[in-house]
Amino acid sequence: MHIVFALVVVAAFGLFAWNAWRLILELRMGRLDDSRWSDVGARLGNLLSIGIFQKKIFRDSVAGPMHAAIFWGFCVLTAGTIEFLVAGVFPSFSFAKVLPGVLYRFYTINQDVWGALVLLAVSFALFRRITKRVKRLMGAETHPNDPLLILSWIGALMITMFGDQAMAMVANPEPGIGLLRPISAVIAALSSVVVSPSAALTLERLFWVSHGLLVLSFLNYLPYSKHLHVVVSLPNVYLSNTSGPGQVGVMSAMDLEGDLEVFGAKDVEQLSWKSLLDGFACTECGRCTSVCPANITGKPLSPRKIMVNVRERLEEKSAAAGIGLIGRSAGGTAVTTAGATTARALLDTYITEDELWACTSCRACVTECPVSIDQLSVINELRRNLVLGESRFPEEILPAFESMEQKGSPWAFDPADRAKWADGMDIPTMAELHGRGEKPDVLYWVGCMGSFDDRAKKTTVAFAKIMKAAGVRFAILAQEEKCHGDPARRMGNEYLYQMLAKDAVGVLNTYAVTKVVTACPHCFHQMGNEFPQWGGHFDVIHHSTFIEELLAAGKVPLRADLHEPVSKFTYHDSCYLGRYNEVYDAPREALKRALPVMELVEMPRSRDRGMCCGAGGGRMFMEEHVAEGGKRINAERAEEALATGATTIAVACPFCMTMLADSVKARDADVTVLDIAEVVAGRLAV
Amino acid sequence: MKIAVCIKRVPDQDVRFKIAAGGKAVDEAGLKFDMSDFDGYAAEVAIQLTEKAGAGEVTVVSVGPDAVQETLRKALSMGAHRAVQLKHDTPVHDGYAIASALAAELKEGAYDLILTGRMAVDTQNRSVGAQLAELLDRPYIGAITKLDVEGGMVKARRELEGAFELVECTLPAVLSIDEGIARARYPSLKGIMAAKKKPMDVRPAQLGAQRYTLESLELPPERTGGRIIGEGPDAVPELVRLLKEEAKIL
Ligand code: SF4
Ligand code: SF4
Repeated sequence: MHIVFALVVVAAFGLFAWNAWRLILELRMGRLDDSRWSDVGARLGNLLSIGIFQKKIFRDSVAGPMHAAIFWGFCVLTAGTIEFLVAGVFPSFSFAKVLPGVLYRFYTINQDVWGALVLLAVSFALFRRITKRVKRLMGAETHPNDPLLILSWIGALMITMFGDQAMAMVANPEPGIGLLRPISAVIAALSSVVVSPSAALTLERLFWVSHGLLVLSFLNYLPYSKHLHVVVSLPNVYLSNTSGPGQVGVMSAMDLEGDLEVFGAKDVEQLSWKSLLDGFACTECGRCTSVCPANITGKPLSPRKIMVNVRERLEEKSAAAGIGLIGRSAGGTAVTTAGATTARALLDTYITEDELWACTSCRACVTECPVSIDQLSVINELRRNLVLGESRFPEEILPAFESMEQKGSPWAFDPADRAKWADGMDIPTMAELHGRGEKPDVLYWVGCMGSFDDRAKKTTVAFAKIMKAAGVRFAILAQEEKCHGDPARRMGNEYLYQMLAKDAVGVLNTYAVTKVVTACPHCFHQMGNEFPQWGGHFDVIHHSTFIEELLAAGKVPLRADLHEPVSKFTYHDSCYLGRYNEVYDAPREALKRALPVMELVEMPRSRDRGMCCGAGGGRMFMEEHVAEGGKRINAERAEEALATGATTIAVACPFCMTMLADSVKARDADVTVLDIAEVVAGRLAV
Repeated sequence: MKIAVCIKRVPDQDVRFKIAAGGKAVDEAGLKFDMSDFDGYAAEVAIQLTEKAGAGEVTVVSVGPDAVQETLRKALSMGAHRAVQLKHDTPVHDGYAIASALAAELKEGAYDLILTGRMAVDTQNRSVGAQLAELLDRPYIGAITKLDVEGGMVKARRELEGAFELVECTLPAVLSIDEGIARARYPSLKGIMAAKKKPMDVRPAQLGAQRYTLESLELPPERTGGRIIGEGPDAVPELVRLLKEEAKIL
C-alpha cells in the first residue's frame, strides 16, 4: 500500500516537474533581456505586502477577505499536506514526533481552523459565482467553468481532510484529541452516533485515499488552468516592476541602433519573458477590466483579454513548436498545427489594432491587478510594432507625429509663438540669463499645451504670477523649448520620441539645468523619470508640489478676506501625477491652504482609483469612436464630478482641463473647471 | 516598371517667414524642411505602383545642395529604391534650368514613368513637369487625381471645375500628381533603417540656362485688426455701407 502510494506521489510530482519545465521553456520563448534580479529589497517588500498580506486583493471589500482566507488557509494547510504525503510513504511519521508539544498543538489547531475558513470561503465563492452575476467576472475571454471546478475541488479537499481526521477519531478515540483538532473532534462526535468504529475505519481509508488523489491531481491540473496563479502569482509579484513613485510607469528604452528584425512586439517571442509570466499569473479576476476607462465606456479594450490572449497565443505557439505536448488552457482554443500558426500572431489574430489604440495608458489596470501584472507593457510593445514596424495607426495622429517633428509640438502652431503667453510679463529666458552669466533657481518648463492652448495658457500665466509673487527666480526656455516626445513614445513612435527627448536633454544640459518645474504631469513624468535614459538627470517638480511648498513656507501673499462664501470643490487626479508618481496630497493641500473656507468633496473614484479623463496615451490626438450604448470617457468622468455637487472641479493637468471642461460645457452645467494654479492665483494679494 | 519621381525640398509652410538679409530669400533660421506635399503624393503613387506589381524600381531625384539628401532619404524610407542628388549649391528659380538638369539625368535609364508633384508648395511654380516632358519628347498629363497603368497605357483622371477629364497616353510618359490621389505614408522605422542602406548617387546638376532671376522678396502687409460693427440683422446696413464705401468691393 505504502509502496503504491509512494509510486503515485513520485509520478505526480514527476508530472508536475515536467509541466513546470514546460512552462519555463515557454517563458524562454520570450525576450530574455529583461533582467529582474536587482532591487531585492523592494521586491521582497512587494512580495510581503502584495503577495503575503494580499494588499491589492483587499481593494475589493467582498472578494478580498474571501480570497485572503483561501490564500492564507492554503499557506497553513500546505504544512498539513506535507505531513500527509510523508506519512503516506512512511506511516510512522507525524509532526508530533518532531515538534515540541505546544508547537504541534498550534499546528493542528490551525489546520482545523483554516480548513474550516477555507471551506466557508470557497462555499461563499461558489455561491457568489453561481447565484450572482458579478460583472467583472464575466466576459467573452474568460473560462467560467474553470473556477467552478477549482472551487469545488478545493471544497472536496477540505471535506476529505476533515473526513479523514474525524473518522480516524471515531475509529480510534484518543483522549484529549479534541484539544488538538477541535473541529474534526466535533464532526467525529456527531458522526459517532451513526458510524460504528469499524465502519469508520473503512471510511477513514476512503477519505484518506480520495484526499491523496485530490491533492495530487489538483497539483497537476493547475498548469492547465487559470489557477496556475496558485503557483506563479508569488514569483510574479516578486518579479514585477519595482514600485516606487515614478519608476513603475517608465517605458523601456528601445535600442534603435541594433539590427532589429521586428520592432516592438508582433508576437509572443518579442514580448519580455516577464509579460509571458504575467499571462500565466492572470487569474481572469477582471479587476483590471472593471476599472479600465476604455472598457467602462464601451470601447473594444479589455486589459484582462490582453493577458488571456498572451497566454493563449503562447500555448498555441509552444504546442506548435513541440514544447507543450498537451498544452492548452482550459476551455481555450485547440492546439493548431505548426503550419497554421505561422500566419497567426498575437497582433491581429488575437489582439486587434482598435483594442490597442483605445488605451489611455492610465495604469488603472496595473494598479488594480492583485498579482501585479503589467498589461500596459504588452499594449505598449504591440503599439510600437504597429507604428515602427508597419506604420499602421489611426490617421488622425499623423499630423501630431509630423508636427512634433517639424514644429516641435504635437499641434501645428508656429514655434515662434511659444512664449507669446509671457508677453509683457517680464520673464527672462535661459538664453538671456546665460548671457548675463546668471542662473535661475528653477527652470519653468511650460510644455506644449501650456504654451499654445488658449485655455492652458491661462494656467501658465497664473502659475507664473504665483512664482513672481512668491519671489521665485525662474526662467523659461521660450523658443528653445520643444516637445520632449512623450506623446510619440506613448503612441508607439519610439524613434521620433528618442530624437526629441535627446534634443531636449541636450538643451537642458547646455544650460546645466538642475531643477525644473512644470504644470504638465506628462512633462513631469517624462522629464523626471524617463530622461535619465538619455543622460538627463534633473530634479523635476510638478507645480502642485511646488505651489504647496511655497504656500507651506508662507511665501505666497494671499488675500486675507475670508468673507467669501464657502464653495464646494472636487479634485480630479491626473493619471500621470497620481498613479504614475503618487502625488495625491500636494494639489489637495494647495487648494485647502489657498481657500481655507473651501469644502473639498471627493469623487467615488479618486486618488489611486481615480478615473482617467480620456486624454492620455495619445488619445488626445485620436478620434473617440463611441459605440452604441457607450459614451465618451470624459463624459463618464465629468458626470462623476458633477454628481458630487461641487461648483468647481480642480485639475492639475492641461489635458484633464481640456477633457473635463469640454464635457462640462457640453452638459451646460454651471460649474467651472480650474487648474489649482488658477485657484491659488485668484487668491493672490497683489 | 521603372519610375522616377522628381522631388523638391521646401520649408515647412505654416509658420511666419522672415526675409533674409539681402531681400532675395527667406531667412532659413529655425525653419524645418520637408518634401513638397505634392511630391510626397507622387512618391507614394510610384511606390504603390511597384508594390502592386510586385516588381519595378522607384528612383527619386532632386536638384539642390547637400541638404536635399535628407529629403531624398525620406523618400527612400517610404519605400523608393534609389536616389540621385543633382548637386547645385545656390538656389535656382527658373523652371527651365531645373527641367534641363532633370532631363539630362532622366533621358537615360529607360524610365517608363516620370512623376512630379503638381506644383512646388513654396514657390507655387508648376512648370518643371511639362518642360521636362517637352525636353524628353514624351507625352505629359498634368494634375492627375487618379491613375491606372496597364499594358503600356496610362489612364488618368484630372479634376476640372465641376467636371472630370479622363485622359490616356502611352508609356513612357511624364505625369504631374495632384492631391487626393494618395497620402504620403509615414515612414516606418523599418523603412528608415532600410533607407540607410539604399544607394544615393550625387552628380553635378547640368542646369540649363537660367533665363530669369529673382529680384526681391517682400512680405504681405500686416493684416489690420478686425472691427466689430454690431450684432445680428441690425448691423447689416452698416456692413453694406462699409463694404461699399470703405472696402469698395460691392
Ligand atoms: S492603461 Fe488604462 S486604458 Fe489602458 S488598458 Fe489599462 S486601464 Fe485600460
Ligand atoms: S490581469 Fe490581473 S486584474 Fe486583470 S484579470 Fe488578470 S489577474 Fe485579474
